[in-house]
Amino acid sequence: MYANGFLFVIIFLALGIILPVASLMVLGPLLRPSHPTAAKTSTYESGLEPVGDARARYNVRYYLFALLFVAFDVEIVFLYPWAVEYHALGLYGFGEMILFIVLLFIGLLYAWRKKVLEWK
Amino acid sequence: MLFGIPITGQTISYFVLALIIMISGVMLMSLNKVMHMAVALGGVFLGVAGIFILLGADFVGMVQILIYAGAITILMVFALMLTQRGDDTASPSANGWRTAGVLVFVVLLCGAFLLVLRGTTWPVSQSAVNPYSQPTVNLIANALFHAYTVPFELVSLLLTVALVGAVVIARKEEE
Amino acid sequence: MERFFLAWQTSSLTGSSFLGMVIGAVIILLLILGIVSYLIYFERKVIGWMQGRIGPNRVGPLGLLQSVADILKLLIKEDVIPTNADRALFLIAPMIAFVPSFMVLAVIPFTATHVFTAGLNVGALYYIALSSITILGIVMGGWASNNKYSLLGGMRSAAQMISYEIPLGLSILGVIMLSGSLNLNNIVAAQNGHVWFIIPQILGFIVFVIAGIAELNRTPFDLPEAESELVAGYFTEYTGFRFAFFMLAEYVYVFAISALAVTLFLGGWSGPFLPSWLWFAIKVSACIFFLFWVRATMPRMRGDQLMSFAWKVLIPIALFNVLLTGAVYEIHL
Repeated sequence: MYANGFLFVIIFLALGIILPVASLMVLGPLLRPSHPTAAKTSTYESGLEPVGDARARYNVRYYLFALLFVAFDVEIVFLYPWAVEYHALGLYGFGEMILFIVLLFIGLLYAWRKKVLEWK
Repeated sequence: MLFGIPITGQTISYFVLALIIMISGVMLMSLNKVMHMAVALGGVFLGVAGIFILLGADFVGMVQILIYAGAITILMVFALMLTQRGDDTASPSANGWRTAGVLVFVVLLCGAFLLVLRGTTWPVSQSAVNPYSQPTVNLIANALFHAYTVPFELVSLLLTVALVGAVVIARKEEE
Repeated sequence: MERFFLAWQTSSLTGSSFLGMVIGAVIILLLILGIVSYLIYFERKVIGWMQGRIGPNRVGPLGLLQSVADILKLLIKEDVIPTNADRALFLIAPMIAFVPSFMVLAVIPFTATHVFTAGLNVGALYYIALSSITILGIVMGGWASNNKYSLLGGMRSAAQMISYEIPLGLSILGVIMLSGSLNLNNIVAAQNGHVWFIIPQILGFIVFVIAGIAELNRTPFDLPEAESELVAGYFTEYTGFRFAFFMLAEYVYVFAISALAVTLFLGGWSGPFLPSWLWFAIKVSACIFFLFWVRATMPRMRGDQLMSFAWKVLIPIALFNVLLTGAVYEIHL
């Protein structure tokens, strides 16, 4: 039965959660020592006193790459069903997809020309 | 049967998923730190993906995980990194009256919903198809590339515009 | 015996077939834990040999118990939670990273009878979608630590992994076009007795291998964990078993991406004479050996080249491969 496959996935999910929970929260506290001191729990900064807060503002480039990622992820989502039905769709479907890919490639080329794909 | 609802694997899964979505949703609204909210948002998206799969739309469920639980959540996190300074964004703390008011409102809303849902006769699809008789990917492909060709091409135009817009905004930010 | 484990795939769920399902999943879990322990041992041994060293040789004969000793050590180490860390997120981030790495194994067809395999019709997409959740675990771990090295490592990891996920997703499109299915079982069946997809899809395979290694954050793409500048990257503040779960997730992905490469491009379990599971094991071992070999051979990539390489080289090549595959098919028609 096909739907049972998803139950199998759910069991993997359950085991994947049980293993860390069992070893970190049940077995772990029985085995490992716990003697936190102020020096031990201070932030590691190569042995020096930590300076300032780590959570500073980040470069906008990270956000830009995330935006590009979302756009291309959506493209992939459209490409997958097309690839599956590729044989049945024939030349007409192929033409549609060429147009789709070309349009998206123009977007990529624009980003390329504006030098946002460089990491400085 | 419990309150007129048959207890099957499907209904149990539905209620578990609904519970996950609701708990994540409430956490999303009530947590104090924005980064915790981002994780709760991921939980909501995953629950919705589960509902899609339960309804027989496995491809849409996977897309939900890929685009929303994966990409959009990471986009949110990056946006937070961009704006955030230190541990800010503490929402006004709830006092006793506020909490009581919220609880009363929630109970009333649920009651109203229950009355409306129970009072309505919903149309039932007569063609009882087996949701997994054919891979849903193929059905989607046929619909997308035969019936909805023009909207599909417009989507690519929209994506291109979104890409260009993102680049323009990001470059402005840099200057 | 095999019928017991296969019952849930062919008929409705009963008590005994559900039991078979649960036992099957537990077997995969135990198997993967064993495989990962010895992956780490063989990685150290292989790289040792390649660099003219001996590698681990003290614990047990030939050092075979080295990984067991390492795991025991990690289990009894103190679990230090930094005062400045975001406690809740710090605790769950390793779990967010690990759970998807184990879940992706549910769709890999290990044998010809598809025992221990959920034959989902969206298998390939399932892998890509689930593995993107791990990125969230990594960036959360880095952020929650509130350490400069961790946060920088986590952000770099996430930026790199999202950039290389696109070519990874695009590179397998050619395989999907040739087999006409997202179901990994059908993709292997399409190669069984025919030519493996690595031959017609050599371009896609090259992109897949490069993007796959980058997704794993391994040399030559290990900038997020560059120990000479970022200490240990996103898990700098992690100790004991929490650290172990980040490492476990990384090595489960080493196995998973090799298994996916074998399934998509190298014919999966198919092969003459030997039993199917053995063919699968041989091919996966060869892929993993290749990953170790690359690590021992290649220097680390330069940071500024890393991101532009994904967007300017790999994505255009992958898109070109899709169009090429389509065009060749149309001409053949």
